[in-house]
Amino acid sequence: MKKCLKCGIRTNIYIPQHRLALCPEHYINWFEARTQRTIEEFKMFQKTDRILVAVSGGKDSLSLWNVLVKLGYEADGLHINLGISEYSEISEIKTRNFAQRIGRKLHIVDLGRDFGRTIPQIKENERRPPCSFCGTLKRYYMNLYAREYGYNVLATAHNLDDEVSVLMLNTLSWNIEYLSRQFPVLPEENGFARKVKPFCKMSEKEAAMYAVLAQIDYIEDECPFAEGSTTLHYKKLISQLEEKSPGTKLRFYSEFLSKMYPVIKDRRPKTSINRCKSCGEPTQSEICMICRMRNNLLYGKLQTSTDKADNP
Amino acid sequence: MQVKEKIYVLYRGKKIEFEEEKMKVKEILKKLNLSGEYAFAVRNGEILDENQTVKAGDEIKIVNAISGG
Repeated sequence: MKKCLKCGIRTNIYIPQHRLALCPEHYINWFEARTQRTIEEFKMFQKTDRILVAVSGGKDSLSLWNVLVKLGYEADGLHINLGISEYSEISEIKTRNFAQRIGRKLHIVDLGRDFGRTIPQIKENERRPPCSFCGTLKRYYMNLYAREYGYNVLATAHNLDDEVSVLMLNTLSWNIEYLSRQFPVLPEENGFARKVKPFCKMSEKEAAMYAVLAQIDYIEDECPFAEGSTTLHYKKLISQLEEKSPGTKLRFYSEFLSKMYPVIKDRRPKTSINRCKSCGEPTQSEICMICRMRNNLLYGKLQTSTDKADNP
Repeated sequence: MQVKEKIYVLYRGKKIEFEEEKMKVKEILKKLNLSGEYAFAVRNGEILDENQTVKAGDEIKIVNAISGG
């Protein structure tokens, strides 16, 4: 059994990529301090900023919200109920309970109520994979709520494994446009709020261990639509590399940020941003993708099973 | 008649039973097709080492940190 580097007591908690053994108390301190260092390294935000944290009810987002509040930031939550039966019901309950525990405001979007269709209903008529249009909807509502309620920073709990799997995917196809946007801070511009990823250097396992040790009650079930996703496939492949050579993930990502990103960041195509004629949100077209989706679903040729049942 | 104790494993809402008298955490992870790189075991709120042994009658929870989407 290893000993905690800070206090010397025996511990099972060991982080191979940092060659670091810590007791539960010092692990929590280390995790929070490392998040603070990441916030400072990328100049993400300050104590005067108003932060809206996207919270799904999972370990990463609830941990991020907990850490930010403990570090003294003005951080409220936004939860989007996707309407995926029991999974979404439990996610919302856990998020509501957590907001109450930390005493912070929680905004809730209910897709069925606010968009007019849930994710399973949209899936029936969409060619894109669920994670793709679900991501589009989430980004839309996050930006909308940030603007409407006066938050100047949007924080998501994307972790090192999320970033590395996307980096690998984009590198394998040399997608320079996407790579030029893969930075943990995207500035506020053209009606989009500043987006930050304070967990970009924390692995998924580190975040899960933090959630367990900080006694955060999160939803453990995986989104039923995530099964078989490309991201999961890449994460498992990368974990095999990490197992053989601890530190690979962090090195791949950190070296990209310090060596490759500066070379390609200006390759980002210049796009003109308009205001959606229907909802006023920023878009590259006349009508934003969300309004087009909504129009197609509610008034277009495509019908969901509910519509079919209502209008046989 | 004495009822034989088992190792009880909670994993993503399911309760799985192992008949063995004792098992190492890494053996349980392997049976669940998981890797210690992203999964770990918890007993009474305490995170266990991969080489720690779990005995019949113990109830542990397996946390799979990987999420997709």
